[in-house]
Amino acid sequence: MSAMLGLAVSISSCSKDPLKDMTDEESRIYVTNRANGVDFTSYKTFSIADSVAVISNSGKNERALTDYDKKLIADVSAAMTARGYTLVGKSAKPDLAVNLTRIDNTYSAIYYDPGYWSGIGGYYDPFYWGYPGYGYFWPSYYQVYQRERAVSIDLIDLKNPKNNELVAIWNAMLRGSGVWDIANVDSMVTAVFAQSTYLTTSK
Amino acid sequence: MKSLKNGILLIIACMGIQTAFAQVRSPLSVNVDYSIAQPLGSLKDYTDKTSFRGWSAGLQYHLNDRLSVGLRSGYQEFFQKLPRAVYHTDGGEISAVQTRTLQVVPLLATAQYQLAKPDAVVIPYVGLAAGAASMEYNKFYGEFSDKYNNWQFMASPEIGINIPFGKGSPLLFNASVQYMYSPYKMQEITSYNVVQANVGLRLHIN
Repeated sequence: MSAMLGLAVSISSCSKDPLKDMTDEESRIYVTNRANGVDFTSYKTFSIADSVAVISNSGKNERALTDYDKKLIADVSAAMTARGYTLVGKSAKPDLAVNLTRIDNTYSAIYYDPGYWSGIGGYYDPFYWGYPGYGYFWPSYYQVYQRERAVSIDLIDLKNPKNNELVAIWNAMLRGSGVWDIANVDSMVTAVFAQSTYLTTSK
Repeated sequence: MKSLKNGILLIIACMGIQTAFAQVRSPLSVNVDYSIAQPLGSLKDYTDKTSFRGWSAGLQYHLNDRLSVGLRSGYQEFFQKLPRAVYHTDGGEISAVQTRTLQVVPLLATAQYQLAKPDAVVIPYVGLAAGAASMEYNKFYGEFSDKYNNWQFMASPEIGINIPFGKGSPLLFNASVQYMYSPYKMQEITSYNVVQANVGLRLHIN
């Protein structure tokens, strides 16, 4: 049987490589996840982090405000506003917090998920949103499990903390080639909001 | 002279099964064919494009003028790239260009029955094959692969023709049509149904 399997492997080697002619645009995927049972119209205001957390599996974690980061903050703010949410300062008790994260998983092949990186220095501690001593709760996991760069947009419910945890109610994950390229921010942010039609203040 | 001829025939008769029929060709043949495959049924929900990337090869041992048994393998790849679309998942959505591939490597035992004598100009035949197939399902979301590899039962009825290049020639043109069936289930595929056309050569080697 092993000889047969060897044959199967050598036969397959004449297959077409699906990634060979793929453009960067085609390589990218935009994944959105929502928490179950959340009524997105129950939130009216939001605040957004003033910089982008950069977490890397090289161990270097920081907050950055490059031109890319400024554009990401501006685009996500504009998209939230277009859906009816009002941008307020974080001291004005917003209903929602928006955390932005660039994930650099190129250093080695270990994986990341939000439950892990939300405890990392670069990521926004709930303290930042006025909840010292709180943690984050992630309803589901969105893993980055291969060597890649990714971008994560997290919506955190600041109105209804549960058991000393702030609940993440929506996540968008941008993956593939060129997600850290400023030229792609517009189309990527447009895509994740377009596919999340429920993310609005009006029914 | 006549006794010599009888003697030779007697020796050949003693050589066993090969002399059980009027021997036009040696009993063992090998065939190699180029294959084109058209998906049917639920396989079309996964990829509805005709596959032009395939081949088939086998060995066939002729028990007599009509009946032969053998082994066959091959390769067929189905491939389709879909433009960017939003797919719904359990907890949300995913926007992606999907590239769908299915690579099939059958390993089948075959039986063929020839509908004409071996010295005919055209030798039609019917066949039946059964065995297992390696199914490699690989659905890419962008550059990210969602891949599954299984072995599954496969059966295949076949009709075809062999046309010798001259009377008694060990080399024959081969053309056939097969229906390939496998109770293969994977995501949108509820069974594997394919019509496959093969064109190639058959050579009697021993």
